[in-house]
Amino acid sequence: MSPRGRRAMSRACARLLPRVCAALADPRQPGSDDTCLEKMLDWFRELREAEPTVKLLRDNPCLTEFFTAVLALPEPEPNVLSFTLRLAGIVAAVEDSFMHLQQLELLARLFGEDGPLNSAAWEDASVRSGWVEGVHSMVQHQSALHFICSGGGIDVIFTLQGDPSLFVASAACRLLVHLLTLSVGSELTVPLNAKDCDWPACAHMIIRHIEESLQSNSASHIKQSLKLLTSLFGSCQAPWTKVLWLGMAKQVESFLTEDSVQAQHILADLLLNMARSPVFHDTEGSFWALVTSALEHLTPVQSSPLAVGILRLHRCPQVVRIKALTVLLQPMDCILRAAFQPLEYAGLLDESVSDPSAVESLLSSKSSCASLLCQTLAHLEELLSVVFLPVNLPYASLLRSVVTILQFCNGLLIPASPLGSKISQILVGCFRVQKSALDALAALSDRKCSDTVVGSLFDVLLAYLESPNTTPTVLKKSFKAMSKWLMSLPGMSFFKNQQQTEKTLQDVFLVLQKRLCSPCWEVRDSSLEFLTNLIRNLRDHDEFRQSLLSSEVPKLTENLLEDPESYVRASAVTAMGHLAFITYFFVPESPVAGNQYNKEKTVAKLQEILSTDPEGFPRRAVMNVFTMWLKESCTGQLEETEQFVSTVVQTTAHDLDWEVKLGCLELVQIFCNHMFCRFGLPECPYAPISSAVTSSICQNEPLQIFCRANLFSFLFRSLCDCDKPVGQKACDILLALKSHFCQSSTTDLQGPGDLSAGHGIHWLQGTLRQGSLVQNFPTDDGNGVDFQDPESMMLALRTIDLVELHNDLNKCSDYVEKSPQSLLEDILATVGTAEENEADCY
Amino acid sequence: MPEIKVTPLGAGQDVGRSCILVSIAGKNVMLDCGMHMGYNDDRRFPDFSYITQNGRLTDFLDCVIISHFHLDHCGALPYFSEMVGYDGPIYMTHPTKAICPILLEDYRKITVDKKGETNFFTSQMIKDCMKKVVAVHLHQTVQVDEELEIKAYYAGHVLGAAMFQIKVGCESVVYTVSMHSSSYRCAAWIDKCRPDLLITESTYATTIRDSKRCRERDFLKKVHETVERGGKVLIPVFALGRAQELCILLETFWERMNLKAPIYFSTGLTEKANHYYKLFITWTNQKIRKTFVQRNMFEFKHIKAFDRAFADNPGPMVVFATPGMLHAGQSLQIFRKWAGNEKNMVIMPGYCVQGTVGHKILSGQRKLEMEGRQILEVKMQVEYMSFSAHADAKGIMQLIRQAEPRNVLLVHGEAKKMEFLKQKIEQEFHVNCYMPANGETTTIFTNPSIPVDISLGLLKRETAIGLLPDAKKPKLMHGTLIMKDNSFRLVSPEQALKELGLAEHQLRFTCRVHIQDPRKEHETVLRVYNHLKGVLKDYSVQHLPDGSITVESILIQATAHSEDQGTKVLLVSWTYQDEELGSYLTSLLKKGLPQSTS
Repeated sequence: MSPRGRRAMSRACARLLPRVCAALADPRQPGSDDTCLEKMLDWFRELREAEPTVKLLRDNPCLTEFFTAVLALPEPEPNVLSFTLRLAGIVAAVEDSFMHLQQLELLARLFGEDGPLNSAAWEDASVRSGWVEGVHSMVQHQSALHFICSGGGIDVIFTLQGDPSLFVASAACRLLVHLLTLSVGSELTVPLNAKDCDWPACAHMIIRHIEESLQSNSASHIKQSLKLLTSLFGSCQAPWTKVLWLGMAKQVESFLTEDSVQAQHILADLLLNMARSPVFHDTEGSFWALVTSALEHLTPVQSSPLAVGILRLHRCPQVVRIKALTVLLQPMDCILRAAFQPLEYAGLLDESVSDPSAVESLLSSKSSCASLLCQTLAHLEELLSVVFLPVNLPYASLLRSVVTILQFCNGLLIPASPLGSKISQILVGCFRVQKSALDALAALSDRKCSDTVVGSLFDVLLAYLESPNTTPTVLKKSFKAMSKWLMSLPGMSFFKNQQQTEKTLQDVFLVLQKRLCSPCWEVRDSSLEFLTNLIRNLRDHDEFRQSLLSSEVPKLTENLLEDPESYVRASAVTAMGHLAFITYFFVPESPVAGNQYNKEKTVAKLQEILSTDPEGFPRRAVMNVFTMWLKESCTGQLEETEQFVSTVVQTTAHDLDWEVKLGCLELVQIFCNHMFCRFGLPECPYAPISSAVTSSICQNEPLQIFCRANLFSFLFRSLCDCDKPVGQKACDILLALKSHFCQSSTTDLQGPGDLSAGHGIHWLQGTLRQGSLVQNFPTDDGNGVDFQDPESMMLALRTIDLVELHNDLNKCSDYVEKSPQSLLEDILATVGTAEENEADCY
Repeated sequence: MPEIKVTPLGAGQDVGRSCILVSIAGKNVMLDCGMHMGYNDDRRFPDFSYITQNGRLTDFLDCVIISHFHLDHCGALPYFSEMVGYDGPIYMTHPTKAICPILLEDYRKITVDKKGETNFFTSQMIKDCMKKVVAVHLHQTVQVDEELEIKAYYAGHVLGAAMFQIKVGCESVVYTVSMHSSSYRCAAWIDKCRPDLLITESTYATTIRDSKRCRERDFLKKVHETVERGGKVLIPVFALGRAQELCILLETFWERMNLKAPIYFSTGLTEKANHYYKLFITWTNQKIRKTFVQRNMFEFKHIKAFDRAFADNPGPMVVFATPGMLHAGQSLQIFRKWAGNEKNMVIMPGYCVQGTVGHKILSGQRKLEMEGRQILEVKMQVEYMSFSAHADAKGIMQLIRQAEPRNVLLVHGEAKKMEFLKQKIEQEFHVNCYMPANGETTTIFTNPSIPVDISLGLLKRETAIGLLPDAKKPKLMHGTLIMKDNSFRLVSPEQALKELGLAEHQLRFTCRVHIQDPRKEHETVLRVYNHLKGVLKDYSVQHLPDGSITVESILIQATAHSEDQGTKVLLVSWTYQDEELGSYLTSLLKKGLPQSTS
């Protein structure tokens, strides 16, 4: 069935709809659950989108009856009235239905002056919201536009811009943008001159409203119009927006210096949206002059978001870009100037182009210092994450300033200058700034910087990692910054100084030892994650391996496999899994490895966790480690690997956590692929294909291995697991196996096969057919299926219709939950029972 | 005027995804961060874009407070902190922090992995989010920053549930979930803290609910009857909360009645949940704590772990299985097996959202279409029993009586029921009661009382003037208020001048009064003097040699009008201390002089 066909209203739904409408309009029935009403609207939207010309109203007269019935109620439930308005809007979006409603004189009673907007129900925010949404849905054609603009609806929308409900006000603003865009877009051949511009009627009303609001003395009206313009320029980049702007530019500009309006934040947003629109780029420089003026006049806190946005733009005059950069770097520059003597360090900005007084006063005030720094640091982090940043940032100086802030924050630096001393007093122990600075520091790690700054950077980070005053969240960020900088070491000159590198690594592991023993589980867990991350990225570096293995960290990690907190046990399992690459997998001649690290012992320990840990996280972590090992071929020779997989499969078969099972199925899948590669089947592109190897051996060798490892039993049973993803994954694997093993005898694929070889296959086939539906694989083994017999399994693969099973399994229970028929049935069934099934916490 | 602003993004006149923004003395706090389970898209989360129109969330919000572990109060937290980008502090009690991730993980598994939904948090995100949480103890005052402090009080709703007092300076707000005591939780308690605003849930605002005991007895009776006739009982539950409560009930009942039918728990998750109930035994009520000394109530003798194979066993049994709405997994699997037998029973102890099998059977549907268009006929008995731990109207009124708030704001309830309670509260307590809809901001003006230190000198002087101060009665004090270094002090004017190094200036008011009198100036002055002497008998009225008159500190001088000699101008001047007398005198003179005065 085509997607369109699937969305069309089914006969069953068409039969149910009149009863549902009647129930909803019946004031004696308890109100329906809001989620049901929302889902009904979703369904109608889908219907309309699938068939834009569908005549919903003419095909379903119950809808107009419903509208009439609800409008006739003296005191309709607000949620039902709101639903009615929204539904009517969706339906009336099709012009034919709109006309139909108009003929029935229902439109004016829904959205016009005869409607809810002049009744007591209008007091309810949900009704006003329903009205705005309804109008928004409806106005998709000129008839609706004309109806709203000529019938007074537009004035209602203007009023709703200032609605006490944030939701309604913001929806009204979006609606006006929609009306304006639709009105101009459909009628105007744009004259690019503000004076001559003859706007269409509806657009003219809106534009006049914006202009009047901007010229009024009311701060709230001015803000509403600025928000409207912001939203318009953010969503529409048509040339006429420029014409519109030229008529208002002077007025808007005046608000930059108008303190009484307090619209500076909105202005910054407005200018940023405009800067992103190419339409305003060629306004003879006047627009960019306005942006420059904004960057100068707004306070650092107000202008910083605008500056960041400007710096991300690829098309922007250099002078504006420099101005934006100055705004952004000013606080960091002040930090450096406050911390160092002029001769010691020159600062980030040239004093001749920047006036730091405003920023200095903000930084020396307790209430604003932290906020300004947090905002600046977050903006820097944002810029650093941009891949193709059109501007060059002074990375070394930035790094120095961030390090300086971190030094202020933990009392490592108390400068003599009055400003420096004041800032350090404010910042000491300030977690908010610590966190932002550490994030920025991490983001700076892939930029080239000088040795001296990097040296002090590691000192500061180590101080944070060591300090007992560091909170768990700050510590986590310190670990992140540290690991990113350690990973960047190989690319830096600093790394060539081996002694210094070793010293740094030793210090890191010393502090890690301490943190692994923390009483706080968050800290132990973050420490283990840090360790895993380091091993994953640095395991090929000798200095790293030596330092790690000569520390107590591996031993402590192993101890944490017994941690009382399951999150920590899981992280310890992951860390141990990675540690194995250093301790024994890839280091045959490592002198320190010796007998201290025993592979068998680790495997046995992880197996034990897999079979006995009462919680899911550690068991899932074990499965991930085993899968990783198998992927990297660390599980030994063929027999050893076969034995390993077999043991894991048997342990996992009875696990209650379906994610563990899913992990095991992935392990099986990798194992199967490895076997096919090894024995030369075409699945693996690099597999040796020897003509001497006969096709039958190629097929049978892996088959026998899979049977010996008891994979089939696990796979077939998984098909009937109560958790769908398990069944689906098992079915995928079995389908792949079938295509491998049965490719030479395609004629048998769908046929019943030769059943004499295994009488139980019939039973298996029947069970699976039923099992995929009832999800019940009997535990009785007396069914005659030998899952370890290659011939039986070959027959099973040939006989059982796995494709059909696959289709069944993909029809998850959502098929029922999401169908409109189910929804309508539920609404009908709920009528009269809603009081019993009371809303509640869950 | 100082104000407190409250904007619900969720739970305003509805139930589901609680999320309330409070702005108090320049600080912004988000109360709860819940999820709506009835939606499968972004509508399940509150629309966080409304929190601030400009700037980052982390810069705007000072902290997030989570009241308890139910998903409609904490379900959106990992989304908010790990996907939306809030990176500030999050507070909850220790048990809530321990239990939250279990429920979040449970729900994530169903949502993401089973339904394949995207834009949902991962397991790692739940962990990262929980690592950001600062756990608080009851009655511990936590200083979020220098000005903002929060304090948790016990709220018996569910294990770990807390009321939170949020305080900035002398302004405060108390936020509470509905409190309710139950068999294993002690009753809620709060100081008489007289907050400016109490924000309370009102889920059962109109109901005076059946006694808990009644419902429990009914539940046990139904389970017992089914088991007696050889049937099986399925109780779909979420991993935590009601499951433990019902287990205690059944365990005790089985022990007392010496019943043999097995009771099973279906998932490993619940074991961990039980572990936490044991761990946080101090949060339970005294009766439980006492019993715990003899026997750990959470170490069940009759309740065993469930194996999938057990569902096919013959004979009666009781099984607790997740999830609670019968929409997937173990509970749905068992339901399918048992649904066809009329001897069996399913008891739904909680709310089910539309679309789930739980919702369908509760609304009376008995033929369910399953995958592959297979029809499942439900012959087993279906029971709904609310064991919800919400307070009813009585509980909420008690809370108001205890805390004595100046204003009340209702959330987490249906509009009609709220309206009823609102009127009741306003009538009984004479306080304003609000019930904003989602997205609507309620502004409450506060009248903060600011503590001021009084200098000893001033206090002595004031007591010397008046009677001895009565500690129980307020007393009006006069002095000069000095606001310096974030402190307020009331001192005598002299001391203030001294401290601030200022000189004293005399401030005099002057007024000109025109009198028609053709006589000479000194004669006019004499007439005025005689007139005042006659009227103001109790005051010292003097005629000075320079021709001016004084009445106390008030000075009166007369001059002839430059253009009209028949008009005399009286210049009256007085200090602010004698303002009353000065005004009186002026008005007296404006009436003119009596004819007989000479």
